[in-house]
Amino acid sequence: MKMFTRYNQILIFISVFGLLLIGFLFYRMLVYYLDRQIDHDLVEEIMEVKEYSVKGNFYEPHEFEDLVVQYHKIAKIQASTTYADTLFYNPIKHRKETARYLKTELLLNGHPYKVLVIASKFEREEQIKNICLIILIPVMLLFALVLLVNRILLRKIWSPFQQLLNNITTFNINRDHPYEPVDMPFEEFKQLDQVLQELSAKVKSDYTEIKLFTENASHEMMTPLAVINSKLDNMLQSNTLGKEDGETLIELYKATSRLTKLNQSLLLLVKIDNNLLQDQEQVNLKLMVEDKIIYFQELISERKITVDLTLMDVTLSASRQLLEILINNLFSNVIRHNYEGGKIEIKLEEGKITFANTGHTAALNPERIFERFYKDNASEGTGLGLAILKQICNRQNYLLEYAYHRDLHIFTVTF
Amino acid sequence: MKILIIEDELGLQRSIAQYLMSEGNLCSIASTYAKALERLGTYEYDCILLDLNLPDGEGLQLLSYLKKMNRKEGVIIISARNSIDDKIEGLSLGADDYLIKPFHLSELNARIVAVVRRKSANGERHIEFNEIRIDLDAKEVLINSKVVYMTKKEFDLLLYFISNKGKVITKSAAVEHIWGDDADMADSFDFIYTHIKNIKKKLTDAGSKDYFQSVYGIGYKFSAL
Repeated sequence: MKMFTRYNQILIFISVFGLLLIGFLFYRMLVYYLDRQIDHDLVEEIMEVKEYSVKGNFYEPHEFEDLVVQYHKIAKIQASTTYADTLFYNPIKHRKETARYLKTELLLNGHPYKVLVIASKFEREEQIKNICLIILIPVMLLFALVLLVNRILLRKIWSPFQQLLNNITTFNINRDHPYEPVDMPFEEFKQLDQVLQELSAKVKSDYTEIKLFTENASHEMMTPLAVINSKLDNMLQSNTLGKEDGETLIELYKATSRLTKLNQSLLLLVKIDNNLLQDQEQVNLKLMVEDKIIYFQELISERKITVDLTLMDVTLSASRQLLEILINNLFSNVIRHNYEGGKIEIKLEEGKITFANTGHTAALNPERIFERFYKDNASEGTGLGLAILKQICNRQNYLLEYAYHRDLHIFTVTF
Repeated sequence: MKILIIEDELGLQRSIAQYLMSEGNLCSIASTYAKALERLGTYEYDCILLDLNLPDGEGLQLLSYLKKMNRKEGVIIISARNSIDDKIEGLSLGADDYLIKPFHLSELNARIVAVVRRKSANGERHIEFNEIRIDLDAKEVLINSKVVYMTKKEFDLLLYFISNKGKVITKSAAVEHIWGDDADMADSFDFIYTHIKNIKKKLTDAGSKDYFQSVYGIGYKFSAL
């Protein structure tokens, strides 16, 4: 839920609830006050009744007073006086109205009477309604206005924050696009912006440093590797080598070449990260795949792998170097992780290329296979091949997907 | 051939010199830029191996110097820097080839042979080994003046072995020579045997002797013995 919505919800809830409560109390107060007033009037009427009775008359109110006085003879006076609400029939308006009455017992002209003074509350209630409306309507309007102003103001106040959020979202450590500072009107946001600026700069410089470190470390290892390799080449020429020595040399070669490959892959990753391969040209992917098939044919036929090709004429505008690495890695993957007599299916169509292969393992974890150094134990690779694929796809904004279907590992690149 | 090795990593420098001298070359060595200049001022070479990172100078400067002095030596850059830009810069400054560390000495040797032959003024654009003659321009193999048809990969492989005649070449080095960095796609390099068998057959069919020798599972040697 947006903070905004939540804030408004609470505000509206409290305001409506408060308004109802205050309105109710206000109404009750008014009713109470008016009842007291009516009661006061009723008492005055009783006084009048008493005054008239002195002269020997029964007091009757004027017609227009919405007032009725009733006299009932009773046996004896019990000194009680009650005020209460009731309904009474207004003989002038010919309708029932709410009213208030005062019931008392008096000795009039020597006889005990129950005197009932009933006063219509209709007019007063109308008054209360009007008073309430007069007060409530402006309050409601004011309330609506406050909400509206709140909304506009909040939106305005938080708009730089929104901008800030957008900038953080678009900030990409891999891109050259830096974090863009936002012009903040408030101190708090200014601070936030400041902190984010520093943070992004720090993250960026740290990342660059790590990349640089990887690059340098990998580079520095190449020279010692060259020394090892050249020494092995010379040892190989010795005439005194036995069979065992030969096997040892082969193992050493293997390890050296693996280390070399690992270094090269790391360097390549850094290079792709650094966006160093950004030549753009029209590349005919069909030709490229066909060339690679010829190039790798010995590696494929050596393992008796059958290749099923469906190639459409597709031309892409992209970095040729990156595409070559991409296709090479896809080939490497389907050849290397295949078994003797296995199958490769390559399908190139408008917008995507699919490499599928049979393999020893069941479905791989699609969440993890593109992670660096993620590989099954049997794999002799560097564990970077798929990571490089992923990196290239990220760079070129291609979609790289893995699926396992009918015993085939399927890698799809959508351009 | 006279070869100048400009390389500050002494271990590598010695290995290269050892390998090349056993091929019958004369090698001079220089570990610094200054030393290299001194050598170049005194002698002429057939080929110069140039490391780009020298303690006292940038190898590329030396290329400019050679160009300015109108020197005829073939130059092969040996560098750990593996970027297209470095390669383009080196080659445009007059280097003849660019080899990335680490490399097999047999690969280096084959490149040296190719560069020297390409540069040679008196039309020696061919390599001979007994009855086998390889024409580098036409990319043809001739045995007793008869052309033997070979695929490009077979031609490259034969040239590689003949350039390193008498040397043991591992299967992996041979595969790497053809497939470069992609060689590790193969889980074993035994398939190179099929290739060598094909080359052997084509050569012997055309009347050549069989010079390929298998060296206990490690690799092969192309040798007259």
